[in-house]
Amino acid sequence: MLTHVLSIVADGVLLGLIYAITGLGLSLVLGVMGIVNVAHSAFVMLGSFLAFELFRRFGVDPVVAFVLALPVFFVLGIVVYRVVITRVQSAAQTQGLVAMFGLMVLIENLGTIAWTTDTRVVTASYTNASLVLGGVVLPHVRLIAGGLALLLIGGVWAFLRFTLTGRAIRAMGQNPEAARIVGVDIARLSAVMFGLGIACAGAAGVALAMVFPFSPNTQVVWLAWAFLVVILGGLGSVASTLAAGIAVGLIQSVCTAVMPFDTVYLVLYVLLAVILTVRREGLSRAVRRTI
Amino acid sequence: MTAPPLRIAGLHAGYVPGHPILRGVDLVAEAGRITVVLGPNGAGKSTLLKVVAGFLAPLRGSVMLGDDDIGALPAHRHVALGIGLLPQGRSTFPDLTVEENIELGGWSMRNDRRRLAEAVEAVLTRYPHLRALRRRAAGSLSGGQQRAVEIARMLVPDPRVLLVDEPSVGLSPIVARQVYQELQALRAEGRTILLVDQDVRAAIAVADYVYVLGSGRNDIEGDRSAFEGDLGAMVRGWLGV
Repeated sequence: MLTHVLSIVADGVLLGLIYAITGLGLSLVLGVMGIVNVAHSAFVMLGSFLAFELFRRFGVDPVVAFVLALPVFFVLGIVVYRVVITRVQSAAQTQGLVAMFGLMVLIENLGTIAWTTDTRVVTASYTNASLVLGGVVLPHVRLIAGGLALLLIGGVWAFLRFTLTGRAIRAMGQNPEAARIVGVDIARLSAVMFGLGIACAGAAGVALAMVFPFSPNTQVVWLAWAFLVVILGGLGSVASTLAAGIAVGLIQSVCTAVMPFDTVYLVLYVLLAVILTVRREGLSRAVRRTI
Repeated sequence: MTAPPLRIAGLHAGYVPGHPILRGVDLVAEAGRITVVLGPNGAGKSTLLKVVAGFLAPLRGSVMLGDDDIGALPAHRHVALGIGLLPQGRSTFPDLTVEENIELGGWSMRNDRRRLAEAVEAVLTRYPHLRALRRRAAGSLSGGQQRAVEIARMLVPDPRVLLVDEPSVGLSPIVARQVYQELQALRAEGRTILLVDQDVRAAIAVADYVYVLGSGRNDIEGDRSAFEGDLGAMVRGWLGV
Protein backbone atom coordinates (compact mmCIF):
# COMPACT_ATOMS: atom_id res chain seq x y z
CA MET A 1 0.00 0.00 0.00
CA LEU A 2 2.78 2.41 0.98
CA THR A 3 4.64 1.62 -2.22
CA HIS A 4 1.49 2.34 -4.19
CA VAL A 5 1.02 5.69 -2.45
CA LEU A 6 4.68 6.62 -2.95
CA SER A 7 4.39 5.73 -6.65
CA ILE A 8 1.36 8.01 -6.98
CA VAL A 9 3.17 10.85 -5.21
CA ALA A 10 6.37 10.43 -7.23
CA ASP A 11 4.40 10.31 -10.45
CA GLY A 12 2.43 13.39 -9.45
CA VAL A 13 5.52 15.38 -8.53
CA LEU A 14 7.33 14.51 -11.75
CA LEU A 15 4.26 15.37 -13.82
CA GLY A 16 3.82 18.51 -11.76
CA LEU A 17 7.30 19.72 -12.59
CA ILE A 18 6.42 19.49 -16.28
CA TYR A 19 3.10 21.26 -15.70
CA ALA A 20 4.96 23.94 -13.77
CA ILE A 21 7.12 24.86 -16.77
CA THR A 22 4.02 24.67 -18.97
CA GLY A 23 2.47 27.43 -16.84
CA LEU A 24 5.68 29.29 -16.00
CA GLY A 25 6.00 31.32 -19.18
CA LEU A 26 2.30 32.20 -19.12
CA SER A 27 2.53 33.26 -15.48
CA LEU A 28 5.62 35.42 -15.98
CA VAL A 29 4.34 37.13 -19.12
CA LEU A 30 0.98 37.80 -17.49
CA GLY A 31 2.42 38.77 -14.11
CA VAL A 32 5.22 41.01 -15.33
CA MET A 33 3.81 42.36 -18.57
CA GLY A 34 0.06 42.03 -18.06
CA ILE A 35 -0.29 40.11 -21.30
CA VAL A 36 -2.79 37.25 -21.44
CA ASN A 37 -0.98 35.17 -24.01
CA VAL A 38 -3.64 32.69 -25.07
CA ALA A 39 -1.28 31.59 -27.86
CA HIS A 40 1.10 30.24 -25.18
CA SER A 41 -0.04 26.65 -25.66
CA ALA A 42 0.44 26.90 -29.42
CA PHE A 43 4.14 27.46 -28.72
CA VAL A 44 4.06 24.50 -26.34
CA MET A 45 2.73 22.44 -29.25
CA LEU A 46 5.46 23.76 -31.55
CA GLY A 47 8.02 22.72 -28.92
CA SER A 48 6.62 19.19 -28.99
CA PHE A 49 6.92 19.07 -32.78
CA LEU A 50 10.45 20.51 -32.63
CA ALA A 51 11.41 17.52 -30.49
CA PHE A 52 9.49 15.20 -32.82
CA GLU A 53 11.15 16.49 -36.02
CA LEU A 54 14.64 16.65 -34.52
CA PHE A 55 14.26 13.07 -33.32
CA ARG A 56 12.65 11.76 -36.50
CA ARG A 57 14.96 13.47 -38.99
CA PHE A 58 18.26 13.63 -37.16
CA GLY A 59 17.88 11.24 -34.25
CA VAL A 60 18.41 14.10 -31.81
CA ASP A 61 17.67 13.06 -28.24
CA PRO A 62 14.79 14.99 -26.60
CA VAL A 63 17.19 16.14 -23.88
CA VAL A 64 19.22 17.93 -26.55
CA ALA A 65 15.99 19.20 -28.14
CA PHE A 66 14.99 20.64 -24.74
CA VAL A 67 18.23 22.64 -24.61
CA LEU A 68 17.93 23.70 -28.26
CA ALA A 69 14.34 24.79 -27.79
CA LEU A 70 15.34 27.51 -25.34
CA PRO A 71 17.28 29.79 -27.74
CA VAL A 72 15.06 28.89 -30.71
CA PHE A 73 11.83 29.81 -28.93
CA PHE A 74 13.43 32.79 -27.20
CA VAL A 75 14.16 34.31 -30.62
CA LEU A 76 10.70 33.29 -31.87
CA GLY A 77 9.16 35.02 -28.86
CA ILE A 78 11.05 38.23 -29.55
CA VAL A 79 9.91 38.14 -33.19
CA VAL A 80 6.27 37.63 -32.10
CA TYR A 81 6.62 40.49 -29.62
CA ARG A 82 8.02 42.85 -32.24
CA VAL A 83 5.65 41.83 -35.05
CA VAL A 84 2.38 41.23 -33.18
CA ILE A 85 2.36 42.59 -29.67
CA THR A 86 3.93 45.99 -30.27
CA ARG A 87 1.22 46.59 -32.87
CA VAL A 88 -1.72 45.77 -30.63
CA GLN A 89 -0.57 46.65 -27.12
CA SER A 90 -1.99 50.16 -27.30
CA ALA A 91 -5.32 48.90 -28.66
CA ALA A 92 -8.33 47.96 -26.57
CA GLN A 93 -7.98 44.89 -24.36
CA THR A 94 -10.40 42.80 -26.40
CA GLN A 95 -8.54 43.59 -29.64
CA GLY A 96 -5.28 42.39 -28.13
CA LEU A 97 -6.90 39.24 -26.81
CA VAL A 98 -8.47 38.54 -30.20
CA ALA A 99 -5.10 39.08 -31.87
CA MET A 100 -3.43 36.50 -29.61
CA PHE A 101 -6.36 34.12 -30.08
CA GLY A 102 -5.95 34.56 -33.82
CA LEU A 103 -2.25 33.75 -33.52
CA MET A 104 -3.12 30.58 -31.58
CA VAL A 105 -5.61 29.45 -34.23
CA LEU A 106 -3.12 30.29 -36.99
CA ILE A 107 -0.33 28.25 -35.39
CA GLU A 108 -2.65 25.31 -34.68
CA ASN A 109 -3.91 25.26 -38.26
CA LEU A 110 -0.43 25.58 -39.73
CA GLY A 111 0.51 22.70 -37.42
CA THR A 112 -2.40 20.65 -38.74
CA ILE A 113 -1.33 21.35 -42.34
CA ALA A 114 2.26 20.40 -41.58
CA TRP A 115 1.68 17.38 -39.33
CA THR A 116 -2.02 16.49 -39.75
CA THR A 117 -4.15 15.69 -36.71
CA ASP A 118 -2.50 12.31 -36.20
CA THR A 119 -1.23 11.65 -32.71
CA ARG A 120 2.58 11.49 -32.46
CA VAL A 121 5.00 10.18 -29.89
CA VAL A 122 8.71 10.64 -29.34
CA THR A 123 10.24 7.31 -28.44
CA ALA A 124 13.76 7.75 -27.12
CA SER A 125 16.03 4.87 -26.17
CA TYR A 126 15.05 5.25 -22.52
CA THR A 127 11.30 5.71 -23.07
CA ASN A 128 10.35 2.30 -21.75
CA ALA A 129 13.04 2.01 -19.07
CA SER A 130 12.36 2.55 -15.40
CA LEU A 131 14.19 3.01 -12.16
CA VAL A 132 12.88 0.98 -9.23
CA LEU A 133 13.54 2.44 -5.79
CA GLY A 134 12.20 0.45 -2.85
CA GLY A 135 9.45 -0.91 -5.01
CA VAL A 136 8.52 2.52 -6.39
CA VAL A 137 8.70 2.50 -10.18
CA LEU A 138 10.06 5.71 -11.70
CA PRO A 139 9.99 5.77 -15.50
CA HIS A 140 13.27 7.18 -16.85
CA VAL A 141 11.46 9.45 -19.24
CA ARG A 142 9.50 11.12 -16.45
CA LEU A 143 12.59 11.42 -14.27
CA ILE A 144 14.50 13.07 -17.12
CA ALA A 145 11.65 15.35 -18.18
CA GLY A 146 10.96 16.30 -14.56
CA GLY A 147 14.65 16.89 -13.90
CA LEU A 148 14.96 19.12 -16.97
CA ALA A 149 11.86 21.03 -15.87
CA LEU A 150 13.31 21.51 -12.39
CA LEU A 151 16.59 22.78 -13.88
CA LEU A 152 14.72 25.26 -16.07
CA ILE A 153 12.62 26.48 -13.15
CA GLY A 154 15.77 26.91 -11.06
CA GLY A 155 17.49 28.74 -13.88
CA VAL A 156 14.60 31.15 -14.42
CA TRP A 157 14.33 31.74 -10.68
CA ALA A 158 18.07 32.45 -10.38
CA PHE A 159 17.97 34.72 -13.44
CA LEU A 160 15.12 36.80 -12.04
CA ARG A 161 16.57 36.91 -8.53
CA PHE A 162 20.30 37.30 -8.96
CA THR A 163 20.94 39.12 -12.24
CA LEU A 164 20.49 42.85 -12.73
CA THR A 165 18.43 42.20 -15.87
CA GLY A 166 16.21 39.80 -13.91
CA ARG A 167 15.74 42.39 -11.19
CA ALA A 168 14.92 45.00 -13.81
CA ILE A 169 12.26 42.64 -15.21
CA ARG A 170 10.75 42.24 -11.74
CA ALA A 171 10.97 45.99 -11.22
CA MET A 172 9.21 46.56 -14.53
CA GLY A 173 6.36 44.33 -13.36
CA GLN A 174 6.04 46.22 -10.07
CA ASN A 175 6.33 49.79 -11.30
CA PRO A 176 6.91 50.31 -15.03
CA GLU A 177 7.07 54.11 -14.78
CA ALA A 178 9.75 53.95 -12.08
CA ALA A 179 11.63 51.43 -14.22
CA ARG A 180 11.70 53.99 -17.02
CA ILE A 181 12.89 56.61 -14.56
CA VAL A 182 15.97 54.54 -13.71
CA GLY A 183 16.69 54.12 -17.42
CA VAL A 184 15.13 50.78 -18.26
CA ASP A 185 14.05 50.53 -21.90
CA ILE A 186 10.65 48.97 -21.27
CA ALA A 187 10.06 47.94 -24.89
CA ARG A 188 13.39 46.15 -25.10
CA LEU A 189 13.07 44.41 -21.75
CA SER A 190 9.47 43.43 -22.52
CA ALA A 191 10.73 41.72 -25.67
CA VAL A 192 13.28 39.83 -23.55
CA MET A 193 10.59 38.88 -21.04
CA PHE A 194 8.21 37.67 -23.72
CA GLY A 195 11.06 35.74 -25.36
CA LEU A 196 11.77 34.09 -22.02
CA GLY A 197 8.10 33.15 -21.64
CA ILE A 198 7.97 31.59 -25.09
CA ALA A 199 11.30 29.82 -24.48
CA CYS A 200 9.69 28.22 -21.40
CA ALA A 201 6.67 27.25 -23.54
CA GLY A 202 8.88 25.62 -26.20
CA ALA A 203 10.90 23.73 -23.60
CA ALA A 204 7.68 22.62 -21.89
CA GLY A 205 6.50 21.29 -25.23
CA VAL A 206 9.62 19.14 -25.52
CA ALA A 207 9.19 17.83 -21.97
CA LEU A 208 5.51 17.03 -22.60
CA ALA A 209 6.41 15.26 -25.85
CA MET A 210 8.73 12.98 -23.89
CA VAL A 211 5.84 11.86 -21.67
CA PHE A 212 2.57 12.21 -23.58
CA PRO A 213 1.33 11.59 -27.13
CA PHE A 214 0.50 14.85 -28.89
CA SER A 215 -1.02 16.40 -31.99
CA PRO A 216 -1.60 20.00 -33.09
CA ASN A 217 -5.01 19.88 -31.35
CA THR A 218 -3.53 18.86 -28.00
CA GLN A 219 -2.47 22.44 -27.39
CA VAL A 220 -5.96 23.38 -26.19
CA VAL A 221 -5.58 20.88 -23.34
CA TRP A 222 -2.18 22.35 -22.44
CA LEU A 223 -3.69 25.84 -22.45
CA ALA A 224 -6.23 24.74 -19.82
CA TRP A 225 -3.44 23.09 -17.81
CA ALA A 226 -1.27 26.19 -18.02
CA PHE A 227 -4.12 28.45 -16.89
CA LEU A 228 -4.93 26.05 -14.06
CA VAL A 229 -1.33 26.34 -12.85
CA VAL A 230 -1.38 30.13 -13.20
CA ILE A 231 -4.72 30.58 -11.43
CA LEU A 232 -3.73 28.20 -8.65
CA GLY A 233 -0.24 29.66 -8.20
CA GLY A 234 -0.85 33.32 -8.80
CA LEU A 235 1.13 35.48 -11.13
CA GLY A 236 4.78 36.21 -11.74
CA SER A 237 6.18 34.05 -8.94
CA VAL A 238 8.42 31.17 -9.96
CA ALA A 239 8.11 29.44 -6.58
CA SER A 240 4.30 29.66 -6.55
CA THR A 241 4.14 28.36 -10.11
CA LEU A 242 6.32 25.41 -9.11
CA ALA A 243 4.06 24.65 -6.14
CA ALA A 244 0.93 24.98 -8.28
CA GLY A 245 2.36 22.74 -10.99
CA ILE A 246 3.16 20.04 -8.45
CA ALA A 247 -0.31 20.40 -6.93
CA VAL A 248 -1.92 19.89 -10.35
CA GLY A 249 0.36 16.93 -11.02
CA LEU A 250 -0.53 15.33 -7.69
CA ILE A 251 -4.26 15.89 -8.22
CA GLN A 252 -4.05 14.29 -11.64
CA SER A 253 -1.97 11.41 -10.32
CA VAL A 254 -4.34 10.69 -7.44
CA CYS A 255 -7.41 11.00 -9.66
CA THR A 256 -5.89 8.66 -12.22
CA ALA A 257 -5.29 6.09 -9.47
CA VAL A 258 -8.76 6.18 -7.94
CA MET A 259 -11.17 6.90 -10.79
CA PRO A 260 -11.65 6.06 -14.45
CA PHE A 261 -9.15 7.91 -16.67
CA ASP A 262 -11.92 9.57 -18.68
CA THR A 263 -13.08 11.47 -15.61
CA VAL A 264 -9.65 12.84 -14.67
CA TYR A 265 -9.85 15.74 -17.10
CA LEU A 266 -13.39 16.43 -15.91
CA VAL A 267 -12.12 16.75 -12.34
CA LEU A 268 -9.35 19.15 -13.40
CA TYR A 269 -11.71 21.33 -15.43
CA VAL A 270 -14.19 21.42 -12.53
CA LEU A 271 -11.28 22.40 -10.29
CA LEU A 272 -10.43 25.22 -12.71
CA ALA A 273 -14.05 26.44 -12.59
CA VAL A 274 -14.18 26.20 -8.78
CA ILE A 275 -10.94 28.16 -8.31
CA LEU A 276 -12.15 30.85 -10.70
CA THR A 277 -15.41 31.05 -8.78
CA VAL A 278 -13.73 31.20 -5.38
CA ARG A 279 -11.13 33.70 -6.57
CA ARG A 280 -13.72 35.98 -8.03
CA GLU A 281 -11.23 38.45 -9.37
CA GLY A 282 -9.78 35.65 -11.54
CA LEU A 283 -6.89 37.09 -13.46
CA SER A 284 -8.19 40.63 -13.46
CA ARG A 285 -5.95 41.94 -10.69
CA ALA A 286 -2.90 41.26 -12.76
CA VAL A 287 -4.27 42.32 -16.09
CA ARG A 288 -3.18 45.83 -16.76
CA ARG A 289 -3.48 45.41 -20.48
CA THR A 290 -4.87 42.25 -21.95
CA ILE A 291 -3.11 41.11 -25.07
CA MET B 1 30.59 69.17 -10.90
CA THR B 2 29.64 71.35 -13.87
CA ALA B 3 25.94 70.98 -14.41
CA PRO B 4 24.47 72.36 -17.63
CA PRO B 5 21.50 74.71 -17.49
CA LEU B 6 18.08 73.51 -18.50
CA ARG B 7 16.36 75.85 -20.94
CA ILE B 8 12.73 75.53 -21.94
CA ALA B 9 11.39 77.75 -24.70
CA GLY B 10 7.90 78.16 -26.13
CA LEU B 11 6.80 74.80 -24.78
CA HIS B 12 3.40 73.49 -25.79
CA ALA B 13 2.25 70.09 -24.57
CA GLY B 14 -0.91 68.21 -23.70
CA TYR B 15 -2.62 64.85 -23.54
CA VAL B 16 -5.52 65.39 -25.93
CA PRO B 17 -5.01 66.69 -29.47
CA GLY B 18 -6.24 70.26 -29.77
CA HIS B 19 -6.28 70.83 -26.00
CA PRO B 20 -2.76 71.75 -24.88
CA ILE B 21 -2.10 72.03 -21.15
CA LEU B 22 1.13 73.99 -21.64
CA ARG B 23 0.72 76.93 -24.01
CA GLY B 24 4.09 78.51 -24.46
CA VAL B 25 6.11 78.06 -21.27
CA ASP B 26 9.59 79.60 -21.08
CA LEU B 27 11.91 78.69 -18.26
CA VAL B 28 15.61 78.52 -17.40
CA ALA B 29 16.98 76.36 -14.57
CA GLU B 30 20.50 77.54 -13.96
CA ALA B 31 23.33 75.29 -12.84
CA GLY B 32 23.84 75.00 -9.11
CA ARG B 33 20.48 76.58 -8.32
CA ILE B 34 17.06 75.43 -7.25
CA THR B 35 14.47 76.68 -9.70
CA VAL B 36 10.95 76.32 -8.36
CA VAL B 37 7.78 76.10 -10.42
CA LEU B 38 4.58 77.01 -8.58
CA GLY B 39 1.00 77.51 -9.60
CA PRO B 40 -2.57 76.52 -8.87
CA ASN B 41 -3.98 73.11 -9.69
CA GLY B 42 -4.28 72.69 -13.44
CA ALA B 43 -1.62 75.28 -14.20
CA GLY B 44 0.51 72.65 -15.92
CA LYS B 45 3.31 72.14 -13.37
CA SER B 46 3.32 68.35 -13.43
CA THR B 47 2.78 68.32 -17.19
CA LEU B 48 5.87 70.52 -17.52
CA LEU B 49 7.92 68.05 -15.52
CA LYS B 50 6.53 65.11 -17.51
CA VAL B 51 7.75 66.75 -20.72
CA VAL B 52 11.17 67.58 -19.31
CA ALA B 53 11.50 64.02 -17.98
CA GLY B 54 10.58 62.50 -21.34
CA PHE B 55 7.23 61.00 -20.37
CA LEU B 56 5.29 63.33 -22.64
CA ALA B 57 6.44 64.58 -26.04
CA PRO B 58 6.17 68.33 -26.59
CA LEU B 59 3.80 69.57 -29.28
CA ARG B 60 5.97 72.61 -29.90
CA GLY B 61 8.93 74.34 -28.35
CA SER B 62 12.26 73.07 -27.10
CA VAL B 63 13.79 71.53 -23.98
CA MET B 64 17.55 72.10 -24.06
CA LEU B 65 20.07 70.60 -21.68
CA GLY B 66 23.18 72.62 -22.39
CA ASP B 67 23.42 72.40 -26.17
CA ASP B 68 21.38 69.20 -26.49
CA ASP B 69 17.70 69.22 -27.40
CA ILE B 70 16.22 66.52 -25.16
CA GLY B 71 12.57 67.26 -25.92
CA ALA B 72 12.08 64.24 -28.14
CA LEU B 73 14.07 61.78 -26.06
CA PRO B 74 12.13 59.00 -24.29
CA ALA B 75 12.31 58.90 -20.49
CA HIS B 76 14.68 55.95 -20.24
CA ARG B 77 17.41 57.82 -22.14
CA HIS B 78 17.49 60.77 -19.75
CA VAL B 79 19.51 58.98 -17.08
CA ALA B 80 22.47 58.53 -19.40
CA LEU B 81 22.42 62.30 -20.03
CA GLY B 82 22.77 62.98 -16.33
CA ILE B 83 19.13 63.72 -15.54
CA GLY B 84 17.47 62.27 -12.45
CA LEU B 85 13.77 62.33 -11.64
CA LEU B 86 12.17 62.18 -8.21
CA PRO B 87 8.50 61.70 -9.07
CA GLN B 88 5.48 62.59 -7.01
CA GLY B 89 4.24 59.79 -4.74
CA ARG B 90 5.81 56.39 -4.16
CA SER B 91 8.09 55.08 -6.88
CA THR B 92 10.01 52.29 -5.19
CA PHE B 93 9.87 48.73 -6.43
CA PRO B 94 8.01 47.39 -3.39
CA ASP B 95 8.95 43.70 -3.62
CA LEU B 96 12.64 44.35 -4.24
CA THR B 97 14.99 44.97 -1.34
CA VAL B 98 16.34 48.41 -0.58
CA GLU B 99 19.71 47.37 -1.96
CA GLU B 100 18.13 46.02 -5.17
CA ASN B 101 16.17 49.26 -5.57
CA ILE B 102 19.30 51.33 -5.19
CA GLU B 103 21.31 49.07 -7.47
CA LEU B 104 18.69 49.50 -10.21
CA GLY B 105 19.34 53.23 -10.02
CA GLY B 106 22.61 52.37 -11.74
CA TRP B 107 20.94 50.49 -14.61
CA SER B 108 22.65 52.81 -17.10
CA MET B 109 26.02 51.65 -15.65
CA ARG B 110 25.20 47.93 -15.90
CA ASN B 111 28.02 47.20 -18.33
CA ASP B 112 30.59 48.42 -15.81
CA ARG B 113 29.78 46.37 -12.71
CA ARG B 114 32.74 47.66 -10.72
CA ARG B 115 31.70 51.27 -11.26
CA LEU B 116 28.12 50.36 -10.41
CA ALA B 117 29.17 48.64 -7.17
CA GLU B 118 31.26 51.68 -6.22
CA ALA B 119 28.36 54.02 -6.97
CA VAL B 120 25.96 51.95 -4.85
CA GLU B 121 28.51 51.88 -2.02
CA ALA B 122 28.95 55.66 -2.26
CA VAL B 123 25.20 56.19 -1.95
CA LEU B 124 24.94 53.81 1.02
CA THR B 125 27.81 55.71 2.63
CA ARG B 126 25.94 58.96 2.02
CA TYR B 127 22.77 57.56 3.59
CA PRO B 128 24.05 55.16 6.27
CA HIS B 129 20.60 54.48 7.70
CA LEU B 130 19.71 52.75 4.42
CA ARG B 131 22.61 50.34 4.83
CA ALA B 132 20.90 48.89 7.89
CA LEU B 133 17.69 48.49 5.88
CA ARG B 134 19.27 47.13 2.74
CA ARG B 135 17.84 43.60 3.07
CA ARG B 136 14.30 44.85 3.75
CA ALA B 137 11.67 44.91 1.03
CA ALA B 138 11.22 48.54 0.01
CA GLY B 139 7.45 48.19 0.26
CA SER B 140 7.73 47.38 3.97
CA LEU B 141 9.36 50.74 4.80
CA SER B 142 7.71 53.91 6.06
CA GLY B 143 6.91 56.70 3.63
CA GLY B 144 9.95 58.69 4.72
CA GLN B 145 12.26 55.70 4.39
CA GLN B 146 10.91 54.96 0.93
CA ARG B 147 11.54 58.59 -0.03
CA ALA B 148 15.13 58.16 1.11
CA VAL B 149 15.44 55.02 -1.04
CA GLU B 150 14.09 56.94 -4.03
CA ILE B 151 16.56 59.78 -3.50
CA ALA B 152 19.44 57.33 -3.04
CA ARG B 153 18.39 55.42 -6.17
CA MET B 154 18.25 58.66 -8.14
CA LEU B 155 21.78 59.59 -7.06
CA VAL B 156 23.52 56.33 -8.03
CA PRO B 157 24.41 57.52 -11.57
CA ASP B 158 25.42 60.91 -10.07
CA PRO B 159 22.95 63.02 -12.11
CA ARG B 160 23.83 66.66 -12.80
CA VAL B 161 20.23 67.74 -13.23
CA LEU B 162 17.47 66.78 -10.79
CA LEU B 163 13.78 67.01 -11.62
CA VAL B 164 11.74 66.93 -8.42
CA ASP B 165 7.95 66.70 -8.32
CA GLU B 166 6.23 67.59 -5.03
CA PRO B 167 8.75 65.80 -2.81
CA SER B 168 6.88 66.24 0.47
CA VAL B 169 3.54 64.73 -0.55
CA GLY B 170 2.45 62.13 2.00
CA LEU B 171 5.36 62.78 4.36
CA SER B 172 5.32 63.97 7.96
CA PRO B 173 6.46 67.58 8.48
CA ILE B 174 9.75 66.42 10.02
CA VAL B 175 10.59 64.10 7.13
CA ALA B 176 9.46 66.72 4.61
CA ARG B 177 11.86 69.21 6.19
CA GLN B 178 14.67 66.67 5.85
CA VAL B 179 13.86 66.20 2.17
CA TYR B 180 14.11 69.96 1.51
CA GLN B 181 17.37 70.07 3.47
CA GLU B 182 18.68 67.29 1.24
CA LEU B 183 17.70 69.27 -1.85
CA GLN B 184 19.75 72.18 -0.51
CA ALA B 185 22.71 69.84 0.05
CA LEU B 186 22.39 68.58 -3.52
CA ARG B 187 22.34 72.16 -4.78
CA ALA B 188 25.51 72.87 -2.81
CA GLU B 189 27.15 70.09 -4.84
CA GLY B 190 26.50 72.11 -7.98
CA ARG B 191 23.51 70.20 -9.33
CA THR B 192 20.77 71.88 -11.34
CA ILE B 193 17.44 71.36 -9.60
CA LEU B 194 14.01 71.98 -11.09
CA LEU B 195 11.43 71.68 -8.31
CA VAL B 196 7.69 71.57 -8.96
CA ASP B 197 5.74 71.95 -5.77
CA GLN B 198 2.39 72.64 -4.14
CA ASP B 199 3.99 73.42 -0.80
CA VAL B 200 4.53 77.08 -1.60
CA ARG B 201 6.19 78.06 1.66
CA ALA B 202 8.65 75.16 1.77
CA ALA B 203 9.53 75.47 -1.91
CA ILE B 204 10.17 79.20 -1.78
CA ALA B 205 12.33 78.72 1.33
CA VAL B 206 14.82 76.67 -0.70
CA ALA B 207 14.37 78.41 -4.08
CA ASP B 208 16.88 80.55 -5.88
CA TYR B 209 14.45 81.50 -8.60
CA VAL B 210 10.69 81.05 -8.84
CA TYR B 211 8.34 80.72 -11.79
CA VAL B 212 4.59 80.79 -11.32
CA LEU B 213 2.48 79.21 -14.03
CA GLY B 214 -1.12 80.10 -14.72
CA SER B 215 -3.30 78.26 -17.23
CA GLY B 216 -0.31 76.70 -18.94
CA ARG B 217 1.61 79.95 -19.40
CA ASN B 218 4.24 81.91 -17.51
CA ASP B 219 2.51 84.17 -15.04
CA ILE B 220 5.07 85.80 -12.78
CA GLU B 221 8.69 85.05 -11.96
CA GLY B 222 11.55 86.38 -9.89
CA ASP B 223 14.21 85.72 -7.28
CA ARG B 224 13.18 84.19 -3.98
CA SER B 225 13.19 87.61 -2.34
CA ALA B 226 10.34 88.67 -4.60
CA PHE B 227 8.14 85.91 -3.17
CA GLU B 228 8.98 86.18 0.50
CA GLY B 229 6.17 88.59 1.27
CA ASP B 230 2.57 87.64 1.78
CA LEU B 231 2.46 84.10 0.43
CA GLY B 232 -1.07 83.77 1.70
CA ALA B 233 -2.20 86.54 -0.63
CA MET B 234 -0.55 84.84 -3.58
CA VAL B 235 -2.24 81.50 -2.88
CA ARG B 236 -5.58 83.22 -2.29
CA GLY B 237 -5.09 84.86 -5.66
CA TRP B 238 -4.64 81.43 -7.28
CA LEU B 239 -7.77 80.20 -5.63
CA GLY B 240 -9.68 83.34 -6.61
CA VAL B 241 -10.86 84.10 -3.07
